[in-house]
Amino acid sequence: MASEKSSNAKTGHKFQRSGFSYEQLIRFFFASNAGLSIVILTLIIAFLLKEGLGFFPGYRRDLETYRIAGLEFVDISRNNLTAHEQLTSLLNRAYYAEVNGKSSRELKRTEEASALYNAFTDQVGPTRDLILNNPQAETDGNAGMKAALLNNYEKQREKALQKPLSTPHLTNEERQQLIESLRARPPEATDDPPLVAALAQEFVAAQQKHAAPLQEFRTVIDDFESAGFDLGSIVMEMTESVTVTKEQLQTADILEKDRKTLLAAASGEKDPVERERLLADAHAALADKPDVETPMQALLERKPECVRLHEELKTASSAAFDKIPQSLTESDAKRILSAARKAWPVFITDLDMAPGKINAWKHTDPVPLSDAFMSFLTGKKWVTGGEWQDFYGILPLAIGSLMIAMIALSIAIPVSISAAIYVNHFAKPREQALVKPIIEFIQAIPSVVLGFVGILVFGTILREISVMDAFQWVPGFPIEERLNIFTAGCLLALMSIPTIFSLAEDALNNVPSAYAEASEALGASHVQTAFRVMIPASFSGILAAILLGFGRVIGETMVVLLVAGNRIKIPDFSEGLGAFFQPSHTLTGIIAQELGEVPLGSVHYRALFVVGIVLFAVVLGINATAHHFVNRAKK
Amino acid sequence: MIDPEILIRKGMPRGYFKDIFVRLALGSVTYLILIIALLLFARIIIDGAPAIFSTKFPFVDIEFLTAKNETLHVFDDAEGTRHQLPASKYNEYLDAHPGATIYNEKTFSYSGGGIAGPIAGTALLTLGAIILALFFGVSAAIYLAEYAKQSPFIHAVRLAILNLAGIPSIVFGLFGFSVFVLAVPVITNTPSDRSLLVIPLLINDFALSFQGWNSSLMAGCATLACMILPVIITASEESLRAVPQGFRDASLAMGATRWQTIRKCVLPYSMPGILTSSLLAITRVAGETAPIMFTAAVAAKDDFPWEGLSNPFDILSSQVQALPYHIYTLAARIPNSEFTQRAQYGSVLVFLILVAVLSFGSMLLRAKLRAKLKW
Repeated sequence: MASEKSSNAKTGHKFQRSGFSYEQLIRFFFASNAGLSIVILTLIIAFLLKEGLGFFPGYRRDLETYRIAGLEFVDISRNNLTAHEQLTSLLNRAYYAEVNGKSSRELKRTEEASALYNAFTDQVGPTRDLILNNPQAETDGNAGMKAALLNNYEKQREKALQKPLSTPHLTNEERQQLIESLRARPPEATDDPPLVAALAQEFVAAQQKHAAPLQEFRTVIDDFESAGFDLGSIVMEMTESVTVTKEQLQTADILEKDRKTLLAAASGEKDPVERERLLADAHAALADKPDVETPMQALLERKPECVRLHEELKTASSAAFDKIPQSLTESDAKRILSAARKAWPVFITDLDMAPGKINAWKHTDPVPLSDAFMSFLTGKKWVTGGEWQDFYGILPLAIGSLMIAMIALSIAIPVSISAAIYVNHFAKPREQALVKPIIEFIQAIPSVVLGFVGILVFGTILREISVMDAFQWVPGFPIEERLNIFTAGCLLALMSIPTIFSLAEDALNNVPSAYAEASEALGASHVQTAFRVMIPASFSGILAAILLGFGRVIGETMVVLLVAGNRIKIPDFSEGLGAFFQPSHTLTGIIAQELGEVPLGSVHYRALFVVGIVLFAVVLGINATAHHFVNRAKK
Repeated sequence: MIDPEILIRKGMPRGYFKDIFVRLALGSVTYLILIIALLLFARIIIDGAPAIFSTKFPFVDIEFLTAKNETLHVFDDAEGTRHQLPASKYNEYLDAHPGATIYNEKTFSYSGGGIAGPIAGTALLTLGAIILALFFGVSAAIYLAEYAKQSPFIHAVRLAILNLAGIPSIVFGLFGFSVFVLAVPVITNTPSDRSLLVIPLLINDFALSFQGWNSSLMAGCATLACMILPVIITASEESLRAVPQGFRDASLAMGATRWQTIRKCVLPYSMPGILTSSLLAITRVAGETAPIMFTAAVAAKDDFPWEGLSNPFDILSSQVQALPYHIYTLAARIPNSEFTQRAQYGSVLVFLILVAVLSFGSMLLRAKLRAKLKW
């Protein structure tokens, strides 16, 4: 910069000879504005690092407390217990899926009847409450009012019965009977209409009938469930004792921090009296080191008992595994059972390894900084604000972001590139003038509006489609949550289509027209020219477009915050492609959701900044690669 | 001699149907996007229209656009008539009917009244951000287009602009929060405890304290301005470069200085282009939610930003409601029901109309500009 300044100075006016002029001041002003973007970028990096880097020491201390207080020891047994509970719940789900699947006709009939009944009560509920709980209407003078209310109620009732919900599994007579019984129903009635009650009974009878052959399976499940009780109770006892130790340790940490603040204040204080006072305060705040050894010894004495219980559970589990049926008849039940059977060997190996882990565990093992680092990068849990222990593992968030991006890109890439080829190569000028502005306008739609559409419109439509009988072959249907990875992915696809489209169209436009002309002169058809000449020639540009679209999808916040379902859990891949229909959380969403609620400077607050750093690095990497391809395309 | 007629293949060429098929497939995909987009708008317009349009003159629900945002109270009176009243009218009702009992009362936060507060907040945020970004962005673009030669500094500037343009908006939110809300210097006589650095100014106890602007209008404007700076710089540089070199050469040859040349012969001709592209930047700023979530926006506020201030500059340090954040609150934080639909779809429709007007305006202006400015 300095060399530029001096080279521009000319001899002549005395100001200019002195190397300082009005013109140069202006020039310097503009140069400093240009430098502003460098300043902003540096500030972004500096402040992300400033707030984020403190995370790792803080998290290390958290993990150390986790170990010293013995929470880690309890978690060895606890994790196995949780796995046991999950297996039990899988078996139970398989069992009920089998029973309910076999009595599906009765189930649907009772569900439809009660849905119709519930919709009716929802609609007339408020007016009905008015009649029943209106003390003014009870008094004698208000007879007119009571009549008005009744009249009102009847009107509401007729309105509610005008369009009752459809009930495809009920016969017409049953439906008529149900509607008539609702119409004749006095406002003060509380019991279910006769048909609803009858259908419920019918369903219970069917359940009992179909449960009878599965009696053996039921016993296996119950036995397996009760096998975990002993381990459960010892874990509960240990949990109580370690939580107390942990609280003591945390209080001591806080006192120590206060003391350091006081000492720092004392060393900065000039007035000797005041300094003495601060030092005395600091001395008083010197916390008694909490006694962790005694409760720890008590905990360690339980090692043999834990090992014994684990071995017992293992024997019971192996026995149960041999007894559960190989397969069931209903498709849902089959799928759940096979998931349970797949998870079972993993569970047994875990149980097998547990005694070794329990015996090898030492509360005195040091926790190096690298542990905090690895626990962040490879941790499968992001648990915050819990009473037990906070974990900051980025995997569930990163996997959620990636799965959403996968859905979005697998829709957006083919669609937007086909559109780019069509508009660039086949469309008439008039079509171009129609298509381009509309696609550009999609880009201008604010993301929060798209998210809103996703919540109120698209999610509902998707759920309605997913319960249709015609689509039951799709894995994951019917969906449990209307806000899930797929919903978010579809909306993000709509968002990234304009980006990819306009960049890819630019890339196709940049192909020299001589290429296309030469190809057509050699007798190639329009389609051949497009696919064999234009696309290969603009391949780098198209790749860059896709990468930039990917960067946009990963960095998008509002749509995923509103639509992805915000459940912090790695999706259950045992359901195959159905995993894409589960809710999830994302890197961007977690920052937007939690930053407003965390205390400044806490480990959690810093963890969010580290997520920000990861996001920043990933997006920067993607963009750098994209620009590499753009530059290659230019050459 | 071969008859030339034989050389010309008769009938349809080979692969004719394949061509047609591929063409149709590509075309249908293209129009599918358009149809989905149009369905989306149609849905919002159909659901939102009852909220802001009315059948009577002036055909627009003025109250929805000009009233403050309030809590909605839904209740039945003793006759079973349903009332939906915003909080202020609800209190009036209670005063007018002393002793009246009400039934089935439900309240819906943020759903009553109008959306004047969020509209005003968004307008202020956008205005502030655009003024800042235009000032710094156009200055930077002038340097890049008019003064700069190849140098490491320019290379670094271009790299920084490129990288800034790709940063996700939520990272700008983190940046704005940690810098503008918590760290920028202010002059005060009572430095806060969390101040990073306090420099005494030796006048009446005043000190320069690096404690940030808190969540405020100016913090939000600054964050948004940083975010669109690269867009403005790139667009302005393009418009500046579009002015023919001859203009500059002629001016310089007449003895004008560099700055005179820029001021009289370059800027006036590139200004329309700069303003047109900044219209697009406005749509982007107005629509962003993530950067203002922690730096400026607040879900509920009783007054307009300019009400209840002791001096006019206080508006800069007050929090504001913003339309995109309002929509986020309506969509995510309150349960969806028939009574909240007016607020929800109405706000979205107003917002969408705003964005549509801005972006179509910029498209039209651009087309007009291209037709007019030809040298």
